[in-house]
Formats: sequence, structure tokens, C-alpha cells
Amino acid sequence: MSFITDHILSWVTFLPLAGSLLLWTVVRREGPARLLALGVALADFVLSLHLWFHFDPKTGVDQFVERVAWLADGRISYNLGMDGISLMLVMLTTLLGPIVILSTWRAVTERVPEFMGFLLLLQAAMLGTFFARDMLLFYVFWEAMLIPMYFIIGVWGGQRRLYAAVKFFIFTMVGSVFMLIGIIYMYYHAGSMDLRAFLALDLPRQAQLWLFGAFFLAFAIKVPLFPLHTWLPDAHVEAPTAGSVILAGVLLKMGTYGMLRFAMPLFPQGVATFAPLISTLAVIGIIYGALVALVQPDVKKLVAYSSVSHLGFAVLGLFSLTKLGVAGSLYQMLAHGLSTGALFLLVGVIYERRHTREISEFGGLAHGMPRYATIFLITTLASMGLPGMAGFVAEFMILFGTFGSTTLAHGRLLTVLASTGVVLGAIYMLWMYQRVFLGRRDNPRNEGLADLSGRELVVLLPLVVLMFWLGVRPGVVLDRVEASIDRVLAPLAIEGAAPAGLGAALTTPVLELPEGQGRFVFGNPEMR
Amino acid sequence: MNLPHFLGVVSGVQGQGVQGHFATALIFVLVGIAFAALALGVAKLLRPSNPSAAKSTTYECGEVAHGSSWIRFNVRFYLVALFFIVFDVEMIFLLPWAVVFRQLFPVPGLGALVFWDMIIFLAILGLGLAYVWAKGDLDWVKKLAERSGPVATGITEEEEVPAP
Amino acid sequence: MELLHVKIPSWGDLQWWLPEAVLCCTFLLALLGDMLARGRRPVVAFAISVAGLLAAGALAIADTHAVAPAGGRAIMGDLMVVDGMAIFFRLLFVFGGLATVLFAWTSEEIMGHRRENKGEFFALTVLMTVAMMVMAEARNVLMLYLAMEGVGLTSYVMAGYMRTSLRSTEASLKYVIFGAVSSAIMLYGLSLLYGMTGSLQFSGIRAVLLGGGAEPFGILVAVVLILAGMSYKIAAVPFHFWCPDVYEGAPTPVAALFSVGPKAAGFALMIRFFYTTFAVGTNAAASNSLIQVINWPLLVSVISAVTMTFGNLVALRQTNVKRMLAYSSIAHVGYLLMGFVLLSEMGLAAILFYLLVYTLMNLGAFFFVVAVNNHLKSEQLEDYKGLGYRMPWAGVMMVVFLGSLTGVPPFAGFVGKLYLFTAVMDRQWFWLVIIAGLNSVISLYYYFRVARVMWLVRPDEGHDSPLRLSWLQYTVLACLAVPTLVLGLYFGAFKDLADAGIRTMAGG
Repeated sequence: MSFITDHILSWVTFLPLAGSLLLWTVVRREGPARLLALGVALADFVLSLHLWFHFDPKTGVDQFVERVAWLADGRISYNLGMDGISLMLVMLTTLLGPIVILSTWRAVTERVPEFMGFLLLLQAAMLGTFFARDMLLFYVFWEAMLIPMYFIIGVWGGQRRLYAAVKFFIFTMVGSVFMLIGIIYMYYHAGSMDLRAFLALDLPRQAQLWLFGAFFLAFAIKVPLFPLHTWLPDAHVEAPTAGSVILAGVLLKMGTYGMLRFAMPLFPQGVATFAPLISTLAVIGIIYGALVALVQPDVKKLVAYSSVSHLGFAVLGLFSLTKLGVAGSLYQMLAHGLSTGALFLLVGVIYERRHTREISEFGGLAHGMPRYATIFLITTLASMGLPGMAGFVAEFMILFGTFGSTTLAHGRLLTVLASTGVVLGAIYMLWMYQRVFLGRRDNPRNEGLADLSGRELVVLLPLVVLMFWLGVRPGVVLDRVEASIDRVLAPLAIEGAAPAGLGAALTTPVLELPEGQGRFVFGNPEMR
Repeated sequence: MNLPHFLGVVSGVQGQGVQGHFATALIFVLVGIAFAALALGVAKLLRPSNPSAAKSTTYECGEVAHGSSWIRFNVRFYLVALFFIVFDVEMIFLLPWAVVFRQLFPVPGLGALVFWDMIIFLAILGLGLAYVWAKGDLDWVKKLAERSGPVATGITEEEEVPAP
Repeated sequence: MELLHVKIPSWGDLQWWLPEAVLCCTFLLALLGDMLARGRRPVVAFAISVAGLLAAGALAIADTHAVAPAGGRAIMGDLMVVDGMAIFFRLLFVFGGLATVLFAWTSEEIMGHRRENKGEFFALTVLMTVAMMVMAEARNVLMLYLAMEGVGLTSYVMAGYMRTSLRSTEASLKYVIFGAVSSAIMLYGLSLLYGMTGSLQFSGIRAVLLGGGAEPFGILVAVVLILAGMSYKIAAVPFHFWCPDVYEGAPTPVAALFSVGPKAAGFALMIRFFYTTFAVGTNAAASNSLIQVINWPLLVSVISAVTMTFGNLVALRQTNVKRMLAYSSIAHVGYLLMGFVLLSEMGLAAILFYLLVYTLMNLGAFFFVVAVNNHLKSEQLEDYKGLGYRMPWAGVMMVVFLGSLTGVPPFAGFVGKLYLFTAVMDRQWFWLVIIAGLNSVISLYYYFRVARVMWLVRPDEGHDSPLRLSWLQYTVLACLAVPTLVLGLYFGAFKDLADAGIRTMAGG
């Protein structure tokens, strides 16, 4: 086994790629293709469990590192590594992989091998993005995500799939190009594509501001941060269910992950300058997303706009520049991945049965489909951040961090405004639930719909379990990411304005959650 | 650096060497332009100006011109002209070669080179001639038997749509 | 032995010039073979051409030791030089010529039953390959001009190959006229240079310039004229207007060759001429270029920015795929000129590498158009509906080519652009990089519009039968697509080849 465990990150990354190549060349029949894709995704998940259990939470240094000189006399290297932040997002990705594939059993019937191949290719690219510690490698994986997603939306999408696919592609490409220019500029000065060499660069303030802008634009489009979000509803609505789940579950996190991993530690001056602006935009996004979600007639679009709102929280947490806020942001990425992923799956379930997503078409579904209604309710509650569910922990930490932020002059105002987003979230979610599931079953076409099948339950239950688990045992995640967050944020603490903000968070040593189960500690280990 | 200086150098007023050789040519050009300009300018001042349509027609020995002067020549004439140029060039190469051949032939190592150079050149030319001959391009009336369709119009085959 | 200031060449030099010599013989043999076959069996000329190109390629690979003396080996009385760059371009041109010959064999436009002189086409391709190789080797002004005319004359004939087609003859005539004008302009510049320096050798011109023996204003005029003439050849704005018409009118395999061969040769010639004549030092920054009267970097960067922007913006509006590719090739000239801005070794090596990548992906895209045209007799984008499903393997490869042309990783085009961007990653030229980046996004739109029509739109009813390609077509396309993918991930060896080429060129 050592030949696997020695290169575990490569295995996790390239196993799906190998699967997709098989699907395009050898396995051309529908049934075997589905099974092969599922098998590969499950195997990848099992491999990633190795990461979970052998991960050392005490250190924030990259683990399982693989580094091979690749090009330009080693100035560009094949360089993979994983810290706690990557670990969490990787686990989310590999978990969603088999779930998504299983969810397409009925939904996708055309060109199945190709579809599965694209899903696995996308998964490989996403995993590579989380592991890459060389900027060129990172960029290659980052862009490689675009092409499978373009085809997933464009070939298997809805009515306006062409428009949505092109819009998605062009938006993300615009951002990426500026980031590429930034990367080349830094490579020119650092003489190496290694992330550590980039971190070691001491750039003048002016350069940092421009570079931060270039990197941030790429990530903000991906998140998407208001006002760059317009591609998202189109992409979500037109994408097939599986595409939406991956898009919401993992792809959007690329943006926040990129901010945390690259934009923030590389350009402390840029962060210090732009944090007030960005956190304001994040709060606008939270409220705007919630308000637009409120009036959506289409369930899927509603969920899409709720993503804008939720990821606003994630960005707000990052740019509160407190450790608590950043940890909360990471938590939000996971919670959102689970709950919104599940919501898209659930919307897909009803769409398969009724071929519509208009809220007004439904009503009283709870009567005929009790299991579906129950799981939908749990997911809805998780999405709006009910205590005891994952979303609550995340939003609580973010709001708390923002409130205590000393770098954000208007941190308290932002907290108050962002909190209204939580309230609005409850409103649009519950209102939607009420209109779809409760009341009388007026529309005759809603009668006789089959409840969740066994397969659909298998798809959804792991997500539901995790929503609860992360809600009551935050320590599972936080213990593993704390050291990594410390390490990633270290460059910020050294620079001018940042230490005060982090210091304030550090003076909040112990925080007990109402449930009492999850006890998470920040600060020096001695203080626990 | 500037134009007058440049002209000065080129015309040989300043500087020496190769540039100086242009001086004569430049003077010729300038004098030629001045002469023509002077003649036309003086005539313009002296002559009466009374244009009419008849005066603008093409002069054909006093006859009334008929038809357009923009007529197409038969493509054969161009072929003849091309052949002439080909053999003309051959001769232009051959003549100076023959002149120096006598001196260069005895030089060891060089004689063979000079000889075979010209042989290769002539062989290539000969191959070209043979090729053209074999293709029937030397026939005054070329046979078009292998081709089908309305060749004469110049527009044949499916894709031949005139450009808009 | 000196005669008329030119060293007399010896037969011995031929051993360093074997690939070219072999190709010259191939051309003659192919003509002879075609003649003996009475023009009825084009396979004779085809087979001879393929064999000759293969032999030349093998010789060129085996010939790498010809570079041995620093700065390359001067041959034919110093008219030409065989150095790393010459060898790089030899391989590139032989590859391009071979691919064109092979694919043309399967093309209806070339081999259709009504066509005449089929064998001639292959012979001409071989001749053009030789001329392009000489363009990359010339280090004497006369040789440079002869090689350029050699390429020009062959390409005029090839553009008009479909001589019963109005479009093709129109393309040929346009090409002749524009080509003649550009040659005249360039020749005028070259003669001025000769007049001022009294030397035809690049090195001789350089020596006079270094000694300050030439008038700066005269140099300015000469350089501008030469640059204008060469810009015609590579189709840089504002000397680009012949390009789309010629590409559209010429048979597609010919357009494919035009879009890579003469362009690459033009760049090779520009690199050698401007670098060895005007650049100072091994890593010449712009300020110590000999062309002090011109702000060289500014001039070239403006041409570059305008060229890529114009090419891309006009390509956006094209509905004919071939014409779109023509404008896109103009845009790529703009990208390539980025490497020329600072006349630095880094930039020139980036040009070489990009030319290699560009040859692969652009030939591939054009060949796909050929394959489609064989079946559909159309190059209109609307006829490409659902093509991906009718010819899946070729369709996938077309996506690879398009992705690479856009410059998306993991395709080779991305790496090529990466190096070009790095070459001008200097404070002062940052704006050029940003313009180039934005241009990549624009190009994304029209390249992927083709991919979109092919894959995301379903074929019309009744037009959805599978289209078959021959094994030869698949082989050639795969030989272009696989390297396009591989070079995006592992390009070290080829980048080294390009670097070495520029290094040995600069060393002499």
C-alpha cells in the first residue's frame, strides 16, 4: 500500500481523471459507465478518508507533501500539499462526488459515459486546486475546472443552456486572466512558482494593491461577490441537478478558498486597504441575495440567490480579519456545501417528477410525500442556520468575529446588517417551504407523486447526518483547521493594521455553544 | 539625424564612400524634375485654356476612336512573353558565366564547382521546359479535352460563387 | 577564396545543408515523376514528396551537431548559417509541410476529380518548405530577399490552385499584388541600408552601424520600410488586409500552410535580421539598441496591441469558420509580436516556442475545416451544428485545438502565452500584458462559439448522419492534437530547444 500512501494526494487527484479517461474511451455503455463512475468516486472518497485519519491537527504546515521538479529547472514544480483548510474542502468534494453521481441515475439519460466523464474530470480539477502549492499548477487546475463545467451546463442543461454556459465561461475567464497576469508578475519577481516563494516576496504597497485587485477579482467572480454574481443564477438554473450541486457545493468555495489561501496572505497591504470595502460588499450581497431570493417564483433560482447570501457571510467572515471570523467562514463553506447541495438535490427530485420548478405549481406536497417533506424541512432549517445545525455555528462565528473586529471601523454596524440577512433567510426559506409543502393539495398534478426512493434516500441521508453532526460537534472541524488558519493568517498579523484585530479575537479564549457539546478553543494551547 | 543632413550625406556633399555615388543620380533626378516642371509651368502661363469634350478623347491618328482601350489580350501572348523572359534570364546568367569560366576553370577545386553549377542550373531549366511541354502548355491551341463542364465561362463547379 | 567580396562556397558546405538539398531534389523529382505519369497519377508526386519530407526531417534531426561552432556554422560563403534557430525552424517547417501534404491528399478541394495538376501541388509544397527553411537561415540581405520571393512565388501559385474558382484566382491575384508591393517596399529599405553601409551581410551592416558610420535618419527610413515589408508577410496590422481574403479564397489546406509556414518564416527572418543587425549585447534592452532614432519597443508594442485587438474584434463577427481562423491568425501575430518588443533573448525564445505551439494548433483547426468541407462543402458556422456528434473524435480534437488557441490550460497555447506574457512583464509594458489578457477573453468567445455550435447544439433532422474520416485524417489530426495536449503539461524539452536556438543565434 505504500505506493499509494506515499503519493496519496496524487492518487486522490488523479484517480477521477483516470476514471474519466476510461469513460471516454473504453466503457461506452450506459449501465457499466454509471457503475464505473460511482465506483471511482467511492474509491476516491475512501482514499480521502486516509487523509482524514492520518492528518495531524497539531500543525498548520502542509502535510503529505509531494514535490517534483516539473519545468524551468524546478522553478516550476509539481507541488502538492494539504493543510487543515484543504482537508475540509477536499473531504466535502470527495463526499459530494459519489452522491452527485448517484443522483443522476434517473436525471441523466443522454450520453451517460460522457456526462460521468465530465463529472469525474471536474472532481479531479477541483481536488487539484485544493492541493496545489505551486502557482502554475494551481492555475492549470483552476482553469481546467472551466471546460467540464462549460459542457455539463451546455450539453445537459435546460432551455437557455447556451447562454448560461457562455456567460459562466466568460465571467470566470475574465477574472482568471487578471489573476494569471498577477501570477506572472510575481513569478517574474520571485523567480519561482512555489507558493512559499510568493509568500516570501516583499512587495511595495502599490504593487500589492494592484495584485490584490487582480487576484481578488478572479476569486470574487467565482464566489460570487455582489455585484459580480449575475452569472450564478443563470448557471444554476440552466445546469442539470448534478452540475448545480457541484457548482454550489464546491465550485463556489474555490473563490473563498482562493481568497483565504492566496489573496489574503500574499498581499497584507491590499487586505488592509480593501477590507472595509469588501466586507461592505459582502453585507450588501447578504441582504441583496436574501431579498431577491424572497421574490423568486422558481425554487431553484431561490436556492441560487440564497447562495449569494450565504457566501456573502463567508466573505464577511474572511475580511473581518479575526481568527474567529475566518474559522467561521471556513465553517460556512462546509455548511453551505452540505445544505445547499442537498437543497439542489431535493429540487432535482421534484423536477424529475413534475418537470417544473415554479413554486406556484406546488402546494401541499407534504401529504403525498412525507419523507421528502421531512428531509426538505431539515435541509431548509439547516440552510437558514437553526441552532444545532451546521449553518448556525458558521453564521454565529462569523457574526461574532465581525462584531469583535477592530480593523473594521464599522464592524458592529455590519454585524447588525448581516444579522438581518439571517432573519431574511428564515423568511424566504420558510415561506417557500410553506407554499410548496403545506396547505391543501390544490393542483391535481401534484397527486400520486412517488415519495423518495431508496436510492434518493441514500443520496440525501449522509448530507442530513452531516448537517446535524457539524451542528453539534464543531470541534471535529475546528480542531483540525485551527493551526492551519493560524499559519495562513500569519503574514497578516505581522503587517500594520492586522494584529489588533487578531488580538481581539485571541482575547476571547473560550466559547461555549448552547448545546454544550462542541467546545472550541482559540488561543494558546495552555489556555484550554 | 534630420532630413537635410541625410540628403547631404546621400548626395555626397557630406561624408565619403558609397553614399557619394548617389550624388550624380540625385542631381539627375532633381534636374529632370526641374526641367519638366519649368516647361509645363511656362506653357501653363502662356497657352489659352479652352477645354472641350472632343479634346479629351483618345488620339488615334486623327480617326474617331471606337471601342474601349481596355480590351483583354489573349493569354497566349503572356505565355510567349514569359517564355521569352525565362530564356532571356538564362542567357543573362550564361553570358557572364562563360566570360569568367575560362579564368576560373583551371583553379583547383573551383573549376568543377563552376562547371557543375551551370549544368545543374541548365538541367533545372530544362526540366521546367520539359514539364511545360508535357503539360501541353507549349501548344498554341491547348487541348481542353480532359476537362468537362462549361470551362469557357471561367465559372464551373459547385463552389464557384462570385464574390459579393 | 574571395571573389566580389563573397566567399566562394564549396561542395563541402552541402553536408550541413542536406535537408534542404534533399528537398530541392524532391521537388524536381516530384515534378519529373508527375510528368512521366502524365499528370494522371498524382500518387507518384505525393509519394515522392512524402518520402522526401520524411528524409529531410530525419536528416534535420540527425543534423543537430551542425551547430557545433559557437554561433552556428556559416555555410555557402556565409550566405546562410546553420545554428540552433535554423534547426528549430527546419524541423518546424518539415513538420508543417509534411502535415499539409498528407492532409491535402485527403482534401476534396485539392484532389477533387475535376482538379488538374494534382501532383504539382505536392511539389510546390515541398518547394515552399525549402524556401521557408532558407528564410530562417539567411544572414545575407540578398539571400533573405531571394528566400522571401521563393516563398512568395510558390504561395501565389498555391493560392490560385483551384483555377476554375473565381475566389481562388481572386485570392491569388490579391496575394500577388500585395506581395509585390510589400517586397518592393522592403527591397527599398534594404537597398537604402546597403547604400549606407556598403554591406549585404547582416554582420557587416552591424559592424558599420556599431562604428557609427551610418546616418541615423537614414537608418530610421530603412528600418521603417523593412519593418513594413515584413509586416506584410506576417500580416500585422495595418498590413493585414490581404490575409482574410487570401485565406478564404485559397484551398483550405493551402490556407492552413499559409497561416503557419510563411508566418513562422517571417518571424524567423525578423528575429535574425533585427537581432543580429540592430541589437546590442547578448541581452539587449531596448535602450541600447542600435536603432536609436526609433522608440523600437513602443513602435512594436503598439503594432502588437493593435494587431491582436483588431484581429480578435473582427473575428468575433465572422460567420465563416475559415475566415474567422484567418482573423484569429492575425490576432496571434499580435501575441507573437509581444516577444519582439524588447528584443531580448527571453522574448525571442518565447516567440519560437509559441510558433511551435501555434503551428500544431492552427494546422489542426484548419485541417478540421478541411475534413468538414469534404463532407458538407461548407465552411459556414451554421452548418457546423451538432458536428461533434457526427464526428466525435475529430470533434474532441477540434475542442483541443480551440482551447489551445484560446490559451486555456492545460493546453499548449496557455504555456506559449505564459512565456510571451513573461517576456514583456516589465513595469513599462504592463499595459500590453493586460491588453493581451483581455484579448484572450475576447478570443474565448469566438473560439468557443465554434465548440458551442458543434457540441451544444443538436444537429438538424436529416443532417445527423455520422461523417466518416479516413485513417490518414485521423492520424494527422492526432499527431497535432496529442502534442497540443502534452506540450501544455510537459514542455521542458521543447522550450530548451527554443532557448538553445536563440542562444546560438545570439552568440554569433
